[in-house]
Amino acid sequence: MKHLAFKRGALILAVLLFSSILLSACSSSDKEKEVTPSGEAVQEQVELRLGYYSSAQTDAKMQELVKKFQDSHPNIKVKTESSPYGQFFQKLDTQIAAGNAPDVWLSDGVLVPKYAERGALKDLTDLIGKDLKHDEYYGLDFNKDTNGKYWGVPQGIQIGVLYYNKDMFDAAKVAYPTTDWTWDDLKAAAEKLTLDSNGKYATDAAFDGKKVKEYGLTFFSITEGWMPVLKSFGGGVLDPTLQKSIINSPENKKALDWIVDGMNRHLFPTPADLKSFQSNMAPFPSKAAAMRIGIYARTMDANNAGLNYDVTLLPKGPDGKRFSPVIANSWVINKKAENQVGDAAWEWVKFWATTDEAQKEWASLGEAVPVKKSVANSEQFLNGKPANKQAFLDSFEFAGTLDVNAVWSEWVGKFNESINRAFQGEIPADQALSTADKDVQQVLNEFYKK
Amino acid sequence: MGNTELAPTEVKNPVRRRRKRLNSDGKWGLLMVAPYLVHFIVFVLGSLIASLYFSFSEYDILNPPKWTGLDNYTKLFNEPIFWKALGNTLYFAVLFVPLQTILALILASALNQKLRGLKLFRLAHFLPVISSWTVILYVSDAFFNTRFGLANDFLTRMGLDPQTWLQDPQLVIPLLVLIAVWKGIGYIMVIFLAGLQNVPSDVYEAAEIDGAGTFRKFLNITVPLISGTTFLVVVLSTISTFQAFEQIYVMTGGAQDATAAGGPNNSSLVLMIYLYREGFSFMRMGYASAIAWVLFVLLFILTIVQVTLQKKWVHYE
Repeated sequence: MKHLAFKRGALILAVLLFSSILLSACSSSDKEKEVTPSGEAVQEQVELRLGYYSSAQTDAKMQELVKKFQDSHPNIKVKTESSPYGQFFQKLDTQIAAGNAPDVWLSDGVLVPKYAERGALKDLTDLIGKDLKHDEYYGLDFNKDTNGKYWGVPQGIQIGVLYYNKDMFDAAKVAYPTTDWTWDDLKAAAEKLTLDSNGKYATDAAFDGKKVKEYGLTFFSITEGWMPVLKSFGGGVLDPTLQKSIINSPENKKALDWIVDGMNRHLFPTPADLKSFQSNMAPFPSKAAAMRIGIYARTMDANNAGLNYDVTLLPKGPDGKRFSPVIANSWVINKKAENQVGDAAWEWVKFWATTDEAQKEWASLGEAVPVKKSVANSEQFLNGKPANKQAFLDSFEFAGTLDVNAVWSEWVGKFNESINRAFQGEIPADQALSTADKDVQQVLNEFYKK
Repeated sequence: MGNTELAPTEVKNPVRRRRKRLNSDGKWGLLMVAPYLVHFIVFVLGSLIASLYFSFSEYDILNPPKWTGLDNYTKLFNEPIFWKALGNTLYFAVLFVPLQTILALILASALNQKLRGLKLFRLAHFLPVISSWTVILYVSDAFFNTRFGLANDFLTRMGLDPQTWLQDPQLVIPLLVLIAVWKGIGYIMVIFLAGLQNVPSDVYEAAEIDGAGTFRKFLNITVPLISGTTFLVVVLSTISTFQAFEQIYVMTGGAQDATAAGGPNNSSLVLMIYLYREGFSFMRMGYASAIAWVLFVLLFILTIVQVTLQKKWVHYE
């Protein structure tokens, strides 16, 4: 009974380790030569292990594409391994530990450096240089590290724009957002759109901030929260080396003040307010927020909810600077995949990136912006809801990653810890920034300065 | 000669036979427990040793562990968040163990009477025990949701300010304790019921003749006579609070954002959540193993203390 406590942690680990060791023992014969009845070796037959996270819907589409790939590459036999997002990455870590990870897998864009910098991925710089034309793609550079090396090829791109609910704007008699908006314009509109349960807008003296029914803007964590604001105000979190915090800057202070003010006035939900929704993503599709900073995948929720909405560019900062957050979910290749298996893995990545058909099929799910420019700019992608899908493509001009590095989830955790306290009004903005600066730098030092 | 030779054989034979039988019994026994032994060696002992080794090394799962000596432990004891997590865990235990024990005892005494619909009452209290934490989450959300919850609705109807409940750093642990007591009380109640039914009725009858009232009987007879059960309950509850994970994970944000589990400003961060976050979210398996071992030593000491104190208050007939 006494050892139950650590059994939990250690046991989970041990079970995973042992089961992956067993698995690896069973799969040592990956490569087999296909031999015809006459005994002649016709073509080198390769088995490729392909891993990806998926939902029921995306899984069916992926299987379809795998079948098409096999038809055009008869010598490659693809074995797929898929599970829901969280489980996929938990399993992946233990698979890598046991030397038994898939040959090629789909990585969340923010996790590519985690695997790359810990030595689990194959450097794709040369292959990309040889086989892919830079100009034809959106976002190859989003996987480039500070040394100019490429670690993945985007599978689909998430890029942030401003979503707005036209019905709610009409009801409040507010003009729709334009591409000229600054964040202050947004806040002025948000004030007119924030409604309490007594039917009073935030511009009204009788407005009750404790009982907000509809928020002007919903604001969630990093991608759909502080990162675009910080960066368009001229601030940010890490310097270009991605090893040094630049959190404690006057620009960030201004940006944070802008956010905290919006929360104090109850125009945006605080992190605690957000908890009253079943999901952090719920306020916009459930019509409890008139605007959101949202990535492309959010069109699915909004469409499913039947909202009358559209999208436009994110607002400009005080100096006219814009920033649109990007996550390039990417195919990455296992460092251990060599020779024929490595070639087969690259064939799959190439098939995905270069084949118009594959790109179009995937785009039809409406889950990500296609990587190939020709497909992204086609009518097939641009038609449908929201009307102004062009805004997603226009945003590439001022798009950037989320300062992603090997310890990204950890520093984001530390950063959120501090600034969420400022959002809740517990500590002033500058204290939040100096604490976050110290904590984040410590996380960076522990990993990089050794 | 014959006699002297016979005598030892007579003595020797049964011994040898017995030992031989023991041996074959032993083999059978060993065979019977073999599955358990293999399980124990591979999954318990093996992982124990592995985690002890990891706790002295830097291990990110993706690369082989690197021996770093006491680094993890030094870092742990200098880390304010660890002390906060430890404090939160103890706070949780100090509220939870007595509250659940006392309430469960009162409830069990009430349900030990001859009432109409007794089974229904017992069943009703046992229902939360068998529900999963996710279900409990939805039920408690119906109460403590800041926008739609009954609790805030009640407060605003009374003309009071709505509260942020689980998002309030001051309220979060007491609320989690309250919900945990509600979920766990049925189980403890059943244990107490079994204890109560072992109290001989003649003791009560004797007390009644001496003129003792209900309250006196409860305090002077029931409580001492079921102190063995109470001891079991206290030890079990203490251990379960140190392992509290699922509840806090799903109720304070972990289900949506693993790095956020731990509530507002880490106010509901307990050791198990801290361990999980460091190990599985931030890939510091070595550090997480160190937390696990500290937790183990802590629980070990606590249990020894409880067993020692037991002699002072537990009464066995």
